[in-house]
Amino acid sequence: MTHTSLRMLALAACLAVGLALPFVAPLPLVDRLVFAAIYGIAGLGVGLLLGQCGILNLAQALFYGIGAYATAYASVELGWPPAAGFAAGLAVSGALAFAIGWPTLRLNGYFLALATLALGIAGHELFFEWDWLTGGTFGIGGIPPIRLAGLPFNTPETFYYIAWAVFLAALFLARNLIASRNGLAMQAMRDAPDAAAVLGIDMHRLKAKMFVVSAMLGAVAGSLFAHYVGFVSVQSFGVERSIQFLLIPVVGGARSLVGMAVGAIFIALVPELLSHFGEIHHVLFGLALVAVVIICPDGIAGLWQGLRARIAAPRTAEASTKEPNHAA
Amino acid sequence: MAKLLAGAALMTIGATAGVMPARAQAPTGEPITIGAILSITGPVAGVGQPERDGVLLAERAVNEAGGIAGRPLKVQIEDDASNPDTAVSKANGLIRVSRIRALIGSSNLAATVAIGGLTDPIRLPHVALSGIGPAVEARRTCVMHLLAPQELNARAALTYARDALSAKRVGVLHDSGYGQAVANSLKAVAAEYGIELVQIEKFEIGATDVSAQAAKVKAAGPQAVIVVASSATPFRNVHDLRMGVPVIASIASSSYEYVRAMGEAAEGVVFAEFLVAEDPLPHQADFVRRFQAAYGRLPKNYEAAGFDAVNLIAKVMAEAGANADNAAICTALRKPFQGVLARYDFSAPDMTGIKLTSFTYSQVRGGRFERLAFRPQ
Repeated sequence: MTHTSLRMLALAACLAVGLALPFVAPLPLVDRLVFAAIYGIAGLGVGLLLGQCGILNLAQALFYGIGAYATAYASVELGWPPAAGFAAGLAVSGALAFAIGWPTLRLNGYFLALATLALGIAGHELFFEWDWLTGGTFGIGGIPPIRLAGLPFNTPETFYYIAWAVFLAALFLARNLIASRNGLAMQAMRDAPDAAAVLGIDMHRLKAKMFVVSAMLGAVAGSLFAHYVGFVSVQSFGVERSIQFLLIPVVGGARSLVGMAVGAIFIALVPELLSHFGEIHHVLFGLALVAVVIICPDGIAGLWQGLRARIAAPRTAEASTKEPNHAA
Repeated sequence: MAKLLAGAALMTIGATAGVMPARAQAPTGEPITIGAILSITGPVAGVGQPERDGVLLAERAVNEAGGIAGRPLKVQIEDDASNPDTAVSKANGLIRVSRIRALIGSSNLAATVAIGGLTDPIRLPHVALSGIGPAVEARRTCVMHLLAPQELNARAALTYARDALSAKRVGVLHDSGYGQAVANSLKAVAAEYGIELVQIEKFEIGATDVSAQAAKVKAAGPQAVIVVASSATPFRNVHDLRMGVPVIASIASSSYEYVRAMGEAAEGVVFAEFLVAEDPLPHQADFVRRFQAAYGRLPKNYEAAGFDAVNLIAKVMAEAGANADNAAICTALRKPFQGVLARYDFSAPDMTGIKLTSFTYSQVRGGRFERLAFRPQ
């Protein structure tokens, strides 16, 4: 069996397990997997910036919040259908990301990271202060579920399919983006900025484009979150949520799309699993994160790739030692 | 050992409970499960943990008194980590997996509003450990609230400021959760009391320093300061600034833990609350005795709210029948109930029925609460 066939077989098996999960898994697990997909979409935006452009984004909760509030306001206050809420979230977050990103992305390194952190804090304060729009701490309740063909997707089991379909679609688009001309330009910008500049790549423009894409992914995640939970409040869009999104590529592997799915599952499931240990579970989660970062500095995907390389290395060496004999 | 002693004490007091039949038969059969979503960790843990103690005490007391219609009561407690998203997930699990018959919680207002979106459509009896919040809650007629509506909390503080302190200029420091709700009401009704709110400052739940906000309040020259927060921080900051004016606090910061965390700043603070365990009202004395025997410390308002929530559900389910459907229990809930915290009337429009005269005022002196003679009119 060829390597490609094995990969296709593994992919089909994963898909089958994924499709069957809501029927066999306990409800709390399905619920966490819904959050894994939602957080994964927002984390993918952060991961693309980090892994492909080397930009540390600590403002993703702002765009996640914009998506959530746009959906909540559009559906509850204006009575718009979910698609219009999604579109509003995408438009507002994309426009804001461009308006803020264009001047901010001239910064580099720590300064840029601090600028995005400040942006995240400012956004949270605005959500908090503009209670006429966001409902402040009380939030906006009564957000209707997404309906497709008249069927409400209002349970973890049903919403699971929507959330993971969107997440997988986003991963597929991200894969195409990375393989595109823009993706190669991003990698050149990340690995050899001077060389990229010599090649005529407009790095500032490219960074701004990616920042907009990242923000729009955050908004999509926020809209899904609003429809799933049925309630949004300022408590869901703090800086700690941005850090949570950043942890997804850090834990999973910023340069691997599969790693980001693994990171999202880790971030959504591990705290819940540890919560059985009682009030100490936050400490345990912190220790688990430290352990992951020490053991796999390139994320869980990096660990896997390292293992594969180690397994492949002796084979390659063996093949190369046999080659002269064949030639003889 | 402490747990064993507490258990033994509970066995003793359970048998001599005032409101429950003595020498009741041990409950048998399948347990009746109710859920409780409490903020045991996170910024509102100072409220959720006392509530958990009250809930557990009531669960044991109900079972020692024969359970609900002869069946044992089981309270499944979940921690929402003071987060509405988590509260929704936990509520989904309790409703769908544990198949609870009623739900208690949450400890924070936003989480209560969030989980109300799940309980209301299926008419699951829901006892909230907060006052009624945003407008959407008024339509949720199967959600009973065990604490006073926010406007009543505002009126309780203003009544004291006007009648006991003769204050005309009052400053307000409040947090972004429960504090925000009370502050909105303070703004709405202050003029009725002839009081000008000279400075209103907000800070986020869980803030560890609000000196800047406290300094602005001080600069406005108030004659009294109303602090509405689930935290000791604003009290410490007000004290450090040496404002030199009386401080009126809400029920949200009335726990012994918060008072201990306030340190010197707690001295002289006046609380508009319901339970002064050092000097309980006649209908509260039995609960205070039970709680002290079980936990070796005095209870405050949130312990009493947790205790009342379980007892309310147990009483109504016993009356309506253990197999009564959700709608029947919801209907049965909407009537008067004598709790430890207050005398409720859940048929009232605010689904609480607490009156201004239900409030009692206390002042902290030497780390203890002393009941004040002041009565609201």
